[in-house]
Amino acid sequence: MRILSLLALAFMCVFAACSDSELVSMKQLSSGAKLYEQHCSNCHQADGSGLALLIPPLQQADYLTNNALLLPCLIRNGAAGAMEVNGKIYNQKMPGNAKLSDAEILDICRFVLQKFPEKPISLEDESLTLALQKCDSVGN
Amino acid sequence: MKNTILVFACLLVWACNQNKTLPIYGERSLQTFEKEGKSIIDTVYATVPPFVLLNQNGDTVTEALVKGKIYVADFFFTTCPTICPIMKKEMLRVYQKIKGDENFVLLSHTIDPDYDSIPLLKDYCNRLGSDGKQWQFLTGQREVIYELAEKGYYATAMPDSTEPGGYVHSGGFILVDKQSRVRGIYNGTDAKEVDQLMEDLFILKAEKE
Ligand code: HEC
Repeated sequence: MRILSLLALAFMCVFAACSDSELVSMKQLSSGAKLYEQHCSNCHQADGSGLALLIPPLQQADYLTNNALLLPCLIRNGAAGAMEVNGKIYNQKMPGNAKLSDAEILDICRFVLQKFPEKPISLEDESLTLALQKCDSVGN
Repeated sequence: MKNTILVFACLLVWACNQNKTLPIYGERSLQTFEKEGKSIIDTVYATVPPFVLLNQNGDTVTEALVKGKIYVADFFFTTCPTICPIMKKEMLRVYQKIKGDENFVLLSHTIDPDYDSIPLLKDYCNRLGSDGKQWQFLTGQREVIYELAEKGYYATAMPDSTEPGGYVHSGGFILVDKQSRVRGIYNGTDAKEVDQLMEDLFILKAEKE
């Protein structure tokens, strides 16, 4: 019985042309979307449009596109001080997320980088993980 | 027969919607007035009590600012990580709707007056794109604001160390009529309810005093 259902699953995967890694990345994206809703969308809004000159947009934000590798640290430690996004200066505090695990932060990164830049940005898992490790070692 | 009833029901609903009135919140009492030698019994409704607060320019603001005007009040703090940015996005929609119409005012009260200094409120106001007149940002003594929230506007606002940011507060937008009576409370994080508020503003505008 178990073998049968496994077989069925295997078939379904073949037919849906979903490779193992694709399945993983889809899971990560949907987890990222959920985490974004819980931890980011209050401020940056569900559509990433931000709030006037108080909270910068993520939607087509040049800052995000140009600093994709800073995102893991930004999520973990937050941000403060003046920051230019799409030609406008923002200067409000973004709180850090000390309670989120590495995996959760990486899921958010993948989702944000897929959804909001003009062209989706795909970064290697290794480089995201490395970025996260580095920002911890700097200590904040 | 069934159809006739249906038609009547539809007509009734339609007729009622034509002049929808808004409820009046709070306790009411009957009072006797003397008028031209006769005593008249009238209903007295609860009103928002008089207040003395400071706005983002450091100017004193009292109930005189909203005398004879329709206004929307809410409670927030500038560093609030939870519902405030959504509320402000929604209030910005209301502001854009009423901008330039002298009948309307928006009052946002900080519930963290120790941190939200007047310059901070000023910056917040500018960054939201408010002209600082029709949409004002108010501060004052903590107790005064909390009391006003609870007794005046039926809203909660209090410190709570377990909340992110350290405060609980309702995300309500409170609609107040020309006679300082609360006429509606809307969830300021819910776009649909805020749409309703924007319609109700104009019902109050059309209302005779
Ligand atoms: C309390 C509100 C708040 C929350 C919650 C929040 N941010 Fe931010 N975010 C800000 C503010 C304010 C800035 C600008 C910081 C500055 O001026 O230094 C910012 C800046 C950014 C930037 C860089 C500027 C840009 O628009 O490209 C990114 C990327 C970002 N946030 C992503 C996130 C992600 C992802 C989350 C969820 C994990 C999140 N933020 C949660 C308020 C917030």
